[in-house]
Amino acid sequence: MININRRGFLKTGIAGAAGIVALSPSIVSAATTDQHSDIISRTLGKTGMKIPVISFGVMRADNPNLCKAAYEKGIKLFDTANGYQNGNNEIMLGNLLKDYPRSSFYLATKVKPAGVDKEGKPTDQTTAEDFLAKFNTSLSRLKMDYVDILYIHDIRNPEMLAYKPIINAVKNLKKEGKVKFIGFSTHANEPLVIDAAAAMDTWDVILTSYNFKQTYINELNSAIKKANQAGIGIVAMKTMAGGGFLDKEKTKPINSAAALKWVLSNPDITTTIPGMTDFDQLDLNIKILSDISITEQEKKDLFIASAEKGLYCTGCTICLNACTMNLPVPDLMRAYMYAYGYSNPSMAYSLLSELGTNDNPCKECSSCKVECTKKFDIKEKIADISRLVNVPADFLT
Amino acid sequence: MNNKILIAFSLIILSGSVIAQDIHMPDLKGYKKYNNYPVFLPANLWDFINGAADTYLSYGFVDLHVVEYKKGKDVIKLEIYKHTDNTMAFGIYSTERSPSFRFLNLGSQGYITDGAINFFKGNYYVKIRTYSKNANTLKSTESLSVKVANMLSGGSEMPSALSMFPESGKKINEETYINESVLGHKFLNQAFKATYEAGTDIFSVFIMQKNSSEEARKSVGDYLTSAGAEPVDSEIGRYMLKDGYNGTIFLAWKDNRIVIISGLSKDQSDVADSYTTEILK
Repeated sequence: MININRRGFLKTGIAGAAGIVALSPSIVSAATTDQHSDIISRTLGKTGMKIPVISFGVMRADNPNLCKAAYEKGIKLFDTANGYQNGNNEIMLGNLLKDYPRSSFYLATKVKPAGVDKEGKPTDQTTAEDFLAKFNTSLSRLKMDYVDILYIHDIRNPEMLAYKPIINAVKNLKKEGKVKFIGFSTHANEPLVIDAAAAMDTWDVILTSYNFKQTYINELNSAIKKANQAGIGIVAMKTMAGGGFLDKEKTKPINSAAALKWVLSNPDITTTIPGMTDFDQLDLNIKILSDISITEQEKKDLFIASAEKGLYCTGCTICLNACTMNLPVPDLMRAYMYAYGYSNPSMAYSLLSELGTNDNPCKECSSCKVECTKKFDIKEKIADISRLVNVPADFLT
Repeated sequence: MNNKILIAFSLIILSGSVIAQDIHMPDLKGYKKYNNYPVFLPANLWDFINGAADTYLSYGFVDLHVVEYKKGKDVIKLEIYKHTDNTMAFGIYSTERSPSFRFLNLGSQGYITDGAINFFKGNYYVKIRTYSKNANTLKSTESLSVKVANMLSGGSEMPSALSMFPESGKKINEETYINESVLGHKFLNQAFKATYEAGTDIFSVFIMQKNSSEEARKSVGDYLTSAGAEPVDSEIGRYMLKDGYNGTIFLAWKDNRIVIISGLSKDQSDVADSYTTEILK
């Protein structure tokens, strides 16, 4: 069969073991309703949209065939954003979905208002004009007349929920039919923001961070419950706690199926949007579409993972007010991470030199008042990394 | 000295890494500089760019420095993303590049679009943005981009691997680098990709340069196995295979180099043959 020296390509005519034979869009749409009867779907609040519990966070996908396979296996909601891959993500999705019946899938995109400051408050640059221009660009890239859900991207301050120029703009888009339902995404201060939104009649959907490692999960659950009771549909993201691994070296993978099932154990969550970049991930997630029961082993995996602190300081800066020596604790934690996380002590040395801290900055302090939100032993880590300043720089090159 | 640091020190010597330094953001005439942001790391990049962070992380993101320049109501935001190496910096840059942008001779390559200037140089990917329509502010944005490009270390060349792509039919400024899961397959990674147009056909060519011929054979073997074929223990070969997800694939390899062509039909093996021959010669 094989003659590798001859010019020309040898043929293997067998479809991939894990593969499916590609079907044309029209054949697929006719087949999907019957093929996926075991899929667990939930209703997205007052929108009435019935959505499978697993949706597709398209943000990293660069292969339309992956989205196509997801569609063919029963995933209905595809989630992208104006900013993902600088628009290339929407273009890829638009080129694919234009060939499918519009009623056979749901499409969500996100637009981030310009000029929102660090506290999440609008500024003079936060205009409806800019927001609408971005949305129209998205619609054009997606080759659609409308999107099912438009999220205002990244609301972290309740003040933004009532910011008329943007709110009126999205309401008008809904009236014009360019948007079926309006919502927002939130990645910080989620309980506060969701709680405030639940008391308003503006919102149809909220896309929120939600995972087993969140330290404020009780507050978040309460806010979600309240929003749900107000008819707002809840979609979960960041379900892998910000990545598929617990460490930078990628030696400690999160049990992704367990993490997703944990999210779906909350009946107030309608669907999740895990990011997928390969067919193995897709197949794993497809299994969850029809089985969200969490096994004892999965519970154990999550318990172990939730106890993992990792090396990374999240930069919350709460420690800055607590440290009586006014030390730049987040920067020192960064130096620690450079040395031990990246195995790059010279990078840590460079940072310590810039900070100007000595070899034992906690020396004058008898007891540490800093309570790290990540439960780091701050004093121990500072003492450890600070000794690096005594190492001659040449020795580290 | 602390044992852990000694171990880390040994690792750095072995890996040949260079000293990294914190970035000193340049001044901009007439503007006040505000360093109100923390240095973002892999753990908190999400706090700054939300869901887009995953893509940056997949391209070896190291850290991000952000500074704002303000003059009256006008704001220019500068973001300097550091990645593990030049290929990764090109990779993330290329995922956000569109051939429709106006390209600039800035760093290795840059472009300007709608108040934003993005470029990459060395290990860095730089994004500069203003929402102002003021012509002077836009001009300041351009002068800032030049300052930053001059300030950053690293060469200004494009990744040398791009020169392996044949020029005939290649779509300009559409080359990318895919670090993980090429064509959606977990076992295929680290490929440069170019898009070609021949008549009405549009197809993609992927080139993977592995560290050794053994490594190349392993990747080829994994792909053939997934397509239901026997893996081949040879340093050279050409196959046309039916990928259950991606359709007809032309796969060729020689020594440590692999070429994959996707988007051509099975009766276009002569086209695939000419491209793979040129790349593997």
